[in-house]
Amino acid sequence: MSDILNKLSVRSPWLFRINAGSCNGCDVELATTACIPRYDVERFGCRYCGSPRHADIVLITGPLTARVKDKVLKVWDEIPNPKVTVAVGICPISGGVFREGYSIVGPIDRYIPVDVNVPGCPPRPQAILEGVVLAKQIWMKKLGLVEG
Amino acid sequence: MLDTILAILHMLIFPGGIFALAVALLFKGLDRRIAARVQRRVGPPLIQPVLDIAKLLTKETLIPKTAHRTAFIMAPVLGFTGMAVCAAFIPVSGVFDGLTNMGDLLVLFYLLPIPAIALMLGAAASSSTFGSVGFSREMLMMLAYEVPLLAVMLAVAMLVGKSTGAGAEFSLANIIAFQESNGQLGFNPVMIPAMVAYLIFLPGTLGVVPFDIPEAETEVLEGPLLEYGGPLLALYHVGSALKTFVVLGLGVALFFPGTLCDFAPVNLVWFVVKCFLLMLVAVTVVRASTGRFRIDQAFWFYVKFPTVLSLISLVLVWWM
Amino acid sequence: MAGFLKVLLRNALQGPSTDPYPFAPTFSPKEIRGQVVVDPEKCMGCGICDYTCVAGAIHIDKREDGHTITVYHNACCRCANCYKYCPVGAIYLTDNWHSAHDHAVQYEQIEQQVITKEHCLNCGEPIRPIPLELATRLYAGKDDIDPDHVRHLCPKCRQMEDARRLHNSLAKPEQA
Repeated sequence: MSDILNKLSVRSPWLFRINAGSCNGCDVELATTACIPRYDVERFGCRYCGSPRHADIVLITGPLTARVKDKVLKVWDEIPNPKVTVAVGICPISGGVFREGYSIVGPIDRYIPVDVNVPGCPPRPQAILEGVVLAKQIWMKKLGLVEG
Repeated sequence: MLDTILAILHMLIFPGGIFALAVALLFKGLDRRIAARVQRRVGPPLIQPVLDIAKLLTKETLIPKTAHRTAFIMAPVLGFTGMAVCAAFIPVSGVFDGLTNMGDLLVLFYLLPIPAIALMLGAAASSSTFGSVGFSREMLMMLAYEVPLLAVMLAVAMLVGKSTGAGAEFSLANIIAFQESNGQLGFNPVMIPAMVAYLIFLPGTLGVVPFDIPEAETEVLEGPLLEYGGPLLALYHVGSALKTFVVLGLGVALFFPGTLCDFAPVNLVWFVVKCFLLMLVAVTVVRASTGRFRIDQAFWFYVKFPTVLSLISLVLVWWM
Repeated sequence: MAGFLKVLLRNALQGPSTDPYPFAPTFSPKEIRGQVVVDPEKCMGCGICDYTCVAGAIHIDKREDGHTITVYHNACCRCANCYKYCPVGAIYLTDNWHSAHDHAVQYEQIEQQVITKEHCLNCGEPIRPIPLELATRLYAGKDDIDPDHVRHLCPKCRQMEDARRLHNSLAKPEQA
């Protein structure tokens, strides 16, 4: 029974955005995946939800500045398991152009286990869709549905 | 004894419970599909609401440390139960006459605000700041859309009651019987303002754009639902799906009952089709083409248009 | 008032305009900036790309017998500064925007070229030859020079060659 539920559950990944001090470029690209008919992330059953309690896939943008670090970690902890973390843009992955700045404590995988990277500055909306599909596969792995 | 068992079966299988849930989830899927289509998107698969609920059942439940545990858990249960009972009162003309023969319109009027009240209870119990903002907004919305609902119901009851000589008729079965002999109320010139008011009432009570102000995800992080997750959220979604069925079914019963033939399954399908058309006009088209109101705009919108329209009908009925 | 209904109806009749990606291939716009590629035939190891890279994504390790150039895709912000400043056109951006990958392989997301020096045709000194394209452009209009030969010479030998040629051209008119 729970196996069937798990199999159904991966077809309804709800997305949540965390802005860890991003310049807003990646956030705009994330918004286009939902708002522009050409990309339409709702095809995969995705929905951008407002509350971290509802989320399954977390999309983190920004290089993790010192000021937002604690808040980002707190919000990330609020998300119920099983969750998949996707780093969108080069900033959360490596620090990007802000790397080694005085206010940057990232990259984000120092504090949060990241599952999927989508580099780009910002990545193309199609690349973000690619990342979401990859995140779905990793979610299936976490649920034990696929060997990996 | 037999009556009680029959009533429970009506609540669990038809027209409440399983039937209502199936229809409501199908409607939700169709709604998302059509809204996507008119926005030139593909949209989610038709069974997406079912998948969402299945997903929520597998997630872990987190309850805030500062929340009032019992009230927090009981709120969605309350909303769900209220609507499951409500659904049993919906008459399907030609198939099922409703649970009782007297006063069920009043019962529905008292039961309909239960999901909103449950939502407010949950918001208050969650001890979240966004929850309390959502609480106050939900309260204001409720004040705004309950008045036209009451006026619409009174207008219908008085119109039917005047002709039968009872003063006011609060039995849905009698209202439907009246409409079968005297023509549907939705096409009665006196009742057209009331019908329009009911159509405007629908998106408000269902909490869809442009009236989803209490649950606005970009402003108050889904407000009352902020702290809910997992099975409790699934229960809330099931409750709101049932509410969709109840208000659409009530609209069909009040304004467009009527049968196609004497064969029950055909009438059942006809009822579902009418509900769907009502949803298409009042929910999907509105939802796909508008943005969100501010709370004060929404409140005054409800005071200005549906309340006035429904009062016009009420005065006309009373005066004639 | 009914304008929006007309739009909705038209949209419903026209059908979705959604790109089928990722279920079907999609298009790449012209001049989209994708992942960086280094041409090992052309790279001289001058290091201007490393110097101009905003995000610090390019590293050049110099050795006795050559150099290794590494571009980290996960740090590259695709500003194309390297492409703009590279004097020999060895580094450029492709239209490959497929960048999503598993976190476990994030350090494999690199473009790395190990480049070894060649020997000067005259003296055998290890050098990087100038790309043929650049050499052709540099010696355009001088028919007596074979650019493919000159580019394989070390700077010293090239100077000697030039001096010899100058001497020849100065000596010839007197004889005539």
